[in-house]
Amino acid sequence: MSDVPWRLAARSLKRDLRSADVRALFVALVLAVAASTMIAFFLDRLERGLERQAGQMLGGDLVLEQRSPFSDELRNTLQAAGFALSDQVDLVSMISLGERFQPASLKAVDDAYPHYGVSYVDVGNGAEPFERGPLAGEAWVDPRLAQLIEIELGDRVQVGQTELTVSGIVEREADQSGGFGNFNPRLMLNTADLEATGLVQEGSRVEFELLAAGPPQALDQVQGLLAELRRAGVDVRDVRVDRPQLGNALQRADRYLGLAGLAAVLLAGVAVAMSARRYVERHLDTAALLRCFGASQQQLMVLFSLQLIGLALVASVIGALLGLAGQAILLRLLVSFLPMTLPPPGVTPLWLGILTALAVLVGFAGPTLLRIKRVSALKVLRRELDPLPPSAWLVAGVAASVFGGLLWLYSGSLPLAVALLLSGGVLLTVLWGVSALLLNGILHGVKKLAGVGEWSQALRLGARQLARRRQAGVGQLLAFSVTFFAMAMIVLVRGDLLSTWQSQLPDDTPNYFAINIQPAERDPFEQAVAPRVDTQSTLYPMVRGRITAINDQAPMEAVPEDARGDGSLRRELNLTWQAELPEGNQVVAGEWFTRQQSVPAEPQGWLNAVDATPQPDIVPISMEEELASRLGLSLNDTLTFSIGGDELTTRITSLRSLNWDSFKPNFFVIFPPGVLEQFGHSYITAFHLPDEEQGLIRQLVSDFPGVSLLNVDAILGQVRDVLAQVTRAIELVLMLVLLAGISVLYAALTASQPIRAHESGLLRVFGAGNRMISRIQGAEYALLGFTSGLMGAALAEVATAALYIYWLDLTPRLHITLWLALPFGGALLIGIIGHTLSRGLRRQAPAASLGLLGEA
Amino acid sequence: MSRPVLQAEKLTKTVTSGERKLAILNQLSLSVAAGESVAILGKSGAGKSTLLGLLAGLDTPSDGELRLFGQPLSRLDEDGRAALRAGRVGFVFQNFQLLPTLSALENVLLPLELSPRAGEDHTAQAWLDKVGLGERVDHLPKQLSGGEQQRVAIARAFVTDPELVFADEPTGNLDPDTGAQIIDLLFTLNREAGTTLILVTHDHALARRCDRCLRLDQGQLLPLDPNTVGGGQ
Repeated sequence: MSDVPWRLAARSLKRDLRSADVRALFVALVLAVAASTMIAFFLDRLERGLERQAGQMLGGDLVLEQRSPFSDELRNTLQAAGFALSDQVDLVSMISLGERFQPASLKAVDDAYPHYGVSYVDVGNGAEPFERGPLAGEAWVDPRLAQLIEIELGDRVQVGQTELTVSGIVEREADQSGGFGNFNPRLMLNTADLEATGLVQEGSRVEFELLAAGPPQALDQVQGLLAELRRAGVDVRDVRVDRPQLGNALQRADRYLGLAGLAAVLLAGVAVAMSARRYVERHLDTAALLRCFGASQQQLMVLFSLQLIGLALVASVIGALLGLAGQAILLRLLVSFLPMTLPPPGVTPLWLGILTALAVLVGFAGPTLLRIKRVSALKVLRRELDPLPPSAWLVAGVAASVFGGLLWLYSGSLPLAVALLLSGGVLLTVLWGVSALLLNGILHGVKKLAGVGEWSQALRLGARQLARRRQAGVGQLLAFSVTFFAMAMIVLVRGDLLSTWQSQLPDDTPNYFAINIQPAERDPFEQAVAPRVDTQSTLYPMVRGRITAINDQAPMEAVPEDARGDGSLRRELNLTWQAELPEGNQVVAGEWFTRQQSVPAEPQGWLNAVDATPQPDIVPISMEEELASRLGLSLNDTLTFSIGGDELTTRITSLRSLNWDSFKPNFFVIFPPGVLEQFGHSYITAFHLPDEEQGLIRQLVSDFPGVSLLNVDAILGQVRDVLAQVTRAIELVLMLVLLAGISVLYAALTASQPIRAHESGLLRVFGAGNRMISRIQGAEYALLGFTSGLMGAALAEVATAALYIYWLDLTPRLHITLWLALPFGGALLIGIIGHTLSRGLRRQAPAASLGLLGEA
Repeated sequence: MSRPVLQAEKLTKTVTSGERKLAILNQLSLSVAAGESVAILGKSGAGKSTLLGLLAGLDTPSDGELRLFGQPLSRLDEDGRAALRAGRVGFVFQNFQLLPTLSALENVLLPLELSPRAGEDHTAQAWLDKVGLGERVDHLPKQLSGGEQQRVAIARAFVTDPELVFADEPTGNLDPDTGAQIIDLLFTLNREAGTTLILVTHDHALARRCDRCLRLDQGQLLPLDPNTVGGGQ
């Protein structure tokens, strides 16, 4: 006897493709693979796209910054690791044109600039893209500098000891990150001219930057070196760590897609489990016959496993191709966001897809398949001799373990997978009980339904049919509930995610920042702006200060080794004072200033600290939590600031979280009122200027020449673009999940078709007309759908609340429409699908439908 | 008489129904020689199918010993008994037991696929020719009449050149004319192949064609003279 019945397996599979359960199994597997590969491909590319974009904002994949030139040794090491290098020098100096002088921040770039992206520069024909910086002997200035000292293209400006020809007005720098640390107008020059300016000298405040661009492997290779550099006080910005701006929204999108992918896989798993059950039932006779002809148990297992694995492999290939096509569509949707030079899709997601298909098959169909092994040959003579179905615990346990493994694989977090699985398990057990009760209750209610109309009769009969096979009914109810739940959750999360994004960046999100408003200009500025803008944030006072000591130690010694190069220690921080917690800020530790702190009994109380006389009260401050964590600071640590030559010692009394994506002024450190007022300060504000009021800018520039106005429309537009594109991507994935859900319904209803055929055959024999049977079946499906919808709504509500709190960082809310839409929608959906599916059965003659159960 | 193909000694099968033990077969003994055809008659519920299941090794007796091809079945496990049947035992069932998704040819090939002779498609084709369905090899069972389906089942039973064929009410689901044709076919093939045939039936016409007739009554087999078996059904 041949051990592996290949031919038989192939032949049976080919024939089996005609039967509804195998088709349902196939569709479910294809969907599982398509969803998982598409999302894997997409996330892979999204990740790379984000990294590239962050790299563009930073100016490279890796940016090093220090006060002295970088050594050749370091350059050689980085180049050997596969990085291309570019040098940049930043300093502040006075620029003059004739009699007009203006301090400007100078950025000297070499010929390798920029690594990524292009600058938009007006060299006389409007803004054009340039993949380089200014040439030697030339300078590019920003419009503000041009306006302030009235520079025309071709003018020669004095920079230090040399003169440069202004050859362009920079509209947008390739690596402009949108940060507001530097408020001076900008002048770009070539590093070749730097020496001639004579500005780089011992002791001058110059920042040397080394921008490196290279593949992720290169970054991995130099991690040890980077840690060393951080300890040596070099500011190291790694594209993977310091990803600015878009962070939050995309991180949520990323998680959402992962979640949707898992939901699709779970749904497909349920569909596989249900079709597998029908498949096995249909093949019990075949198995018995084969036993009769002398097949061993092992041969049976091999035969049926081969068929299913063959099915899974074909489904994997088709699913993976669909996944590839799907990610190509996603890519098209995201084309303006993702860089064009992405490497081709890797093969990892393909393997992941095949693995997913096999795992879903083994996990959700495996235990059921074992039933075939236990079939007795005697069944050919006595057909009632069916082997017992596997225990529900075994089926659920194996499926849960496999799904848990997939959760782990996809989320990369074991605790999350275990937690989700455990709570899922508990929930399912509770659900089983609740569904049984709920079904009983509803059936009981329907049976008592008064009325003699055809519909109430149909409802009563339908309910009785459901009640007759309660066990199967509860199983189906559970499957439908989980399906509705998964579909509803994905829809709910999508809606809430999108509305959160929209509310985060409403139409009146500030598009201008005004900086450097002097105290005397404060009121006139406010009066000029207020009537013409949609929204305006508070005018925050701003004082610049440098951290000089942490807990009475030098900052470099007090912070963790890898934070020694942190920008916050190297530059001046923008400090402000506020009595109230600014909007969008949340105290996460300690307490916000009390009134007593902010309005001191002795107005000069804290000023004594400045005089360095011992004082019981040290100035309380509130610090942003991420900075505190980077610097290893916690509540009650003391910080000494140097402000305008004076020293001020403070104590951290609260930590705040804040939303960096808000396009409003945000501060790392906030003081209570009554402390910083004595120092030189200016004000900062942000406002939204409607398109038709753009004239205000010209007026502000002429009335308040000292005030810097920054237009962030471009950055805001970019963020909105990304959100819009990600939204479309999410909708595509949502479609996939809904399809997976429908495949479950199809599989489940297909699985129960023979038994319904038998019932309708009996009813027909007893004289029920086509219309009556159709109504009874419709009523049964609708009852099932209604109950499942109710359960699904409850599940979705609980699960989304948990997800929002623990994973997506959104505020949970009650979805009332869900409680109406799901039960009635469920009744309608199941009613329609079930009714349509069994239309063919109703047309059969009773003899045929009664015989259907008897066929192998 | 040659070496017995099948030998049952004091075969007993009891089932428990609630507290009660019911003996369906009671110390029954039987010996069937190679090439012999034996009919087992009995009323509905007499335990004919139970006996057939035991004789074919599809079920295990509560007591007694059964030797198939000289091998004591009690020493074999389920897989061992299946291996013993493979290629050596053929079956014809009352409800045909054709796989609905396989064509006539594929149904006939099924037992071959499980034997070392896998791949002998021409053998299956030859058997379908013999039963008069050579032109309908690609038809699915549902496209064939009951008589035609049983012909396919007979071709399937003989395709492996078995030493022993069990038939369980082979005409039970057929009208008398078709049943008669099937009986002719079954006995012709049986004679040509020299196969041992054990058939369970309540069709007296069918029983009369056998070398030996036995009646199952109260768990015991009683001999009947084939010539005196009542006419008709």
